Amino acid sequence: MELHCHSAYSFLDGASMPEELVGAALELGHQTLALTDHDGVWGSMEFAHAAQGLGLRAIHGAELSLDDGRHVTLLVASARGWSNLCRLLTLAHAHTRDSGSPSLRPAASSLENLGDHAEGLVCLTGCAERGVHDEPGVRRLLEAFGRERLRIELQRPFLQDDRARNRALSGLARRLDLRCVATGNIHAHASSRVHLQDAFVALRHNVTLEASEPLRRANGSHVLATPGAMAARFREHPQAVSETAVLAEQLDFNLVGDLGYRYPGVEDQTAQRRLVELCQARLGDRYGGAGLAAAGDRLEEELRVIEALGLAGFFLLHHDMLELAREVAVEVRGPDTARALLPPGRGRGSSVSSIVCYLTGLSHIDPIASGLSLGRFLNPELTSLPDIDLDFPRDIREVLIRRVHDRYGRDRAALVATFPSFRSRAAIRELGKVLGLPPAEIERVARGADGFARRVERDVEAALGPGRAGSGRWAWLKSLSEEAYGLPRHVSQHPGGMIVATRPLIDCCPVVPAAMEGRQLVQWDKDSCADAGFLKIDLLGLGMLSAVERCVESIAQVRGTRIDLSRIPFDDGPTYAAIQDADTTGVFQIESRAQMQSLRRTRPANLEELAVQVAIIRPGPIQGGAVNPYIERRQRQREDPDYEPPCLHPSLVPVLRETLGTIIFQDQVLEVAQAFAGFAPGEADGLRRAMSRKRATVAIERYRERFRAGAERHVGAPPELIARVWEMVAGFAGFGFPKAHSAAFGLLAYQSTWLRVHYAPEFLCALLNEQPMGFYPPDSLVHEAQRRGIELRAVDINASEAECTVEPVAPPAGGASAAPACGEAGHPVGGFGQAVRIGLGYVSGVREEEIETLVAARREGGPFRSLAELAGRANACRGSLEQLAWSGACDALAGDRRQALWQLGVAAPGRRVPGGTQLALALDVGETPTLAKLGRWANLLADYATTGVSIGDHAMAILRPHLAGVATSSELAVLPHGGTVSVAGLVVARQRPETASGVVFMLLEDEHGTVNLIVPPAVYERHRHIVRAEPLVFARGRLERPAGGGGTINVLVATLRGLDPEHLAGSAATVTRLPSGDPREAGGPEQAEPVAAPDRVQAVGGLRAVAPPVQSFGSGRRR
Amino acid sequence: MSGARRLGGARAARVQADAGGTPIRIDRHTVTQVRESWLIEDRWWTDQPLRRRYWELVSETGRDIVVFHDLLAGSWFRQR
Repeated sequence: MELHCHSAYSFLDGASMPEELVGAALELGHQTLALTDHDGVWGSMEFAHAAQGLGLRAIHGAELSLDDGRHVTLLVASARGWSNLCRLLTLAHAHTRDSGSPSLRPAASSLENLGDHAEGLVCLTGCAERGVHDEPGVRRLLEAFGRERLRIELQRPFLQDDRARNRALSGLARRLDLRCVATGNIHAHASSRVHLQDAFVALRHNVTLEASEPLRRANGSHVLATPGAMAARFREHPQAVSETAVLAEQLDFNLVGDLGYRYPGVEDQTAQRRLVELCQARLGDRYGGAGLAAAGDRLEEELRVIEALGLAGFFLLHHDMLELAREVAVEVRGPDTARALLPPGRGRGSSVSSIVCYLTGLSHIDPIASGLSLGRFLNPELTSLPDIDLDFPRDIREVLIRRVHDRYGRDRAALVATFPSFRSRAAIRELGKVLGLPPAEIERVARGADGFARRVERDVEAALGPGRAGSGRWAWLKSLSEEAYGLPRHVSQHPGGMIVATRPLIDCCPVVPAAMEGRQLVQWDKDSCADAGFLKIDLLGLGMLSAVERCVESIAQVRGTRIDLSRIPFDDGPTYAAIQDADTTGVFQIESRAQMQSLRRTRPANLEELAVQVAIIRPGPIQGGAVNPYIERRQRQREDPDYEPPCLHPSLVPVLRETLGTIIFQDQVLEVAQAFAGFAPGEADGLRRAMSRKRATVAIERYRERFRAGAERHVGAPPELIARVWEMVAGFAGFGFPKAHSAAFGLLAYQSTWLRVHYAPEFLCALLNEQPMGFYPPDSLVHEAQRRGIELRAVDINASEAECTVEPVAPPAGGASAAPACGEAGHPVGGFGQAVRIGLGYVSGVREEEIETLVAARREGGPFRSLAELAGRANACRGSLEQLAWSGACDALAGDRRQALWQLGVAAPGRRVPGGTQLALALDVGETPTLAKLGRWANLLADYATTGVSIGDHAMAILRPHLAGVATSSELAVLPHGGTVSVAGLVVARQRPETASGVVFMLLEDEHGTVNLIVPPAVYERHRHIVRAEPLVFARGRLERPAGGGGTINVLVATLRGLDPEHLAGSAATVTRLPSGDPREAGGPEQAEPVAAPDRVQAVGGLRAVAPPVQSFGSGRRR
Repeated sequence: MSGARRLGGARAARVQADAGGTPIRIDRHTVTQVRESWLIEDRWWTDQPLRRRYWELVSETGRDIVVFHDLLAGSWFRQR
């Protein structure tokens, strides 16, 4: 047995996962293991389940830090002890995020707190280095815990003073009549992790391995050892070894049991009646005429299932949450806004199929009209709580989460934790740093690394050339990164999962303050919470809901039109035309490169088809082989309305009719299993769950046999047919959407497209103000909008607000109305009379409060008339004003950016002094000398360096004259299919879906539109760094524009390179000083237009540093 | 004497150890007591990794001696 053991949940002070410790303990001959992570039980549920599964007796506890910096080891002896441990840990963390604290403060508990919560806990006096070893201290522990529940902890970490310390501790134990125990202070399950533990210590202290010598353990004795080795280590203290075993036997608490958690309403005897009343009251409002009877039947059926499962309180709790959201929405939106017409939030996920959810407001989709079946969400054989996920606009959710804490009590409500883990890129950066590797080389390797792959050796070779990966510290980086892969790095908060409880949650799990003020976290992630039987309510923030609300509000302000999105026409011709032509940049769900390519072929024409579209580009349908058959059948059906799509068996026709004989929705897996193999609803749901779990091969095999036998019995299908249907079902093991979820998301996709088509400037403005969200970075959104004829206006100190705004466009001289502009696909653009002004908030490096002060000063005292006045009135620091000048926001006052910088330099803006800013006198700055104007490239760089958005010349438009023989995106539509083409552009997205067998998809943008590149694995491996890190690329390959592709154009890349100066025609080999976009480097001579070779050298090099972050390999946006 | 010499530097020692690795004779002197033993493992990421088992011993002459066994090279050194 081992009673003192840290896992990786001690965060950078433990190098093994709980299950690795459990496995190693059993192999080494231990029967009992205690997990005692630092100030937390983050991994305890995982540990408990791993131990139960493998047959090890688990003891739970923690190593608690005291407020004087010392440690004690606490072990749980009973349920009361667990509850006390949770309370102690909650108290220890209570001030870790106190306001004013720049970073996380260490958790600490007072001895008084320890005394107050000692019941049910056994205390060991702590580790060799920082334990409580003085007699007065031990006497205080003795007072708190009593002789029976306090032990002197002996450790033997093979340090110079071990024997002396243990002799002294044994003497102390004799004097106080206490017993000793022997522990190993384990930090790794095997010696292979010892080096990683050293690296973690260095990382935790933010120093190199060399500098961390005094902080690290001196040797590898903190690895789990056999019981025999432990006895030998403590041969001078045999009683301590035997007492350890005796104590371990006494600690009898099983975490895998009822912790006493109950969600509010679960025990409410009136819940069913109240739910019935609530639903019945709204049934008549929602359904009328012929539909009422069907709806009544469906409601009755659902309520019966809910009663049988005892879930009425569960629904009422969610309804209560929504009512709370309604109150919050009124506060956040204001009483008389256009947004106020919208519901506070929307349902997503399988719960949208429930009529009870529809009637209680938890869903906005009519399940009967949308043909949604209930089985995936709720069935009589359900063994765990169903999920109801709710989406809210970000601002409402922000307040709602705080309000839920207040409503249910801060000791009864908390968010679920998550544990971001080491992936290769983070491991390369962090472990490379502690190894003391050159920062520039580390960054090069990290940027080129395949984020989720565990092949650091290849990453190093790809970045630094062959031979480096296997030598010296790079070889250590490889092995350390591989060992670290998947270990938790730190604590974060779940996107929206909340736990609420009837009894104090802190009796079940510790609750700690979250990084965001006013929020708190339980110490468990969603899996541990589910294992504990906690009800998780997902209150999710959805950027598009926020954008849609902003857009509706903006339309009301700008045009005086109030829009209720639930009452817009759902058969709008221009909206579907835009969808079918993939003119969907910026809209919800159907905007990505892959979706656009598919849209041109599927051409959705109603909400049902849009729901299918939302679901189709997902791993489930892709792996299940459903995508191409569906698209081809849809095309054939459009050409020939009498076409009957094939179906593998007549029993599957009703189930798969809507999706043309293919499985697109997750619920169809259930329905196929029921219709074809005669599965009961619960059994079918079990199959779905087995498929969605990782490493469930054995369980799936079991279901395969049942499926085979069932199909034979139920429909008498022959073995080959059964195998084919099973293949279709099993192929869906990847992630897929339930139909209800697709219907909910499809509706928002439609609504956002409708807004984009009819109110384009307002929609763009809303997207720009809600960033980050969606597939495209603001720069791409802006360029695409400009191509559609929307006017974009630059950031301006006297015209911009903090956020982007919609401004009226003055009618052209002569009074004639502007001609309607046309989009790329020829669709009319809705916003002829409006332009979008970039907000001051887009200027990076200027603090939010500085912008607010500046805008307030302008409102109060009128527009700024000079730079000197700006410097005097704006109360912004010099750096911020320079950044504003460099962004072009002061051009109207000074002429151009250089002039503005010069004038600001002379104007001496306010200085920060203790207690505030000493304002400058608004003195006249005098004559500005003649300064060369910035070239087009330098302007572009300055835009990217400051706002990240370029509304002037496109990079490719500037480079175009120097790119001989390179086709533009618009020319690709007329070049012959199969021919060789060269293309170039700014990278907008890089993707390598797991389902694409190593193929990388890149989306380039030039001044006319976008180009899709398909980069085969071999080309990717050859040019990995260009694919992953270059902002401007040149590609040569085969043009693919197949006849049946609906206009889809790809370039199958054969060669690829960064667009650097040596590849530009006519480039001279002259190298001049590079302006990087930094204002301080702006004083040098500048080439006048047109761009000449030296300017190009500057420009392309500089763009790497300032190019806007783009969608990159599933890791969000990065440069 | 030429150049600087590090004070307290380790010198090669002739050590006879028992089967468990505990020194029993050092430079002709019998070990009468083991006072402490500790282990240093460091610099594993460099070209000069270090693994040493140190022993603080009392010899028959009553002297306090510190020796270490270089676990990588297999040789013994006297530190004090």
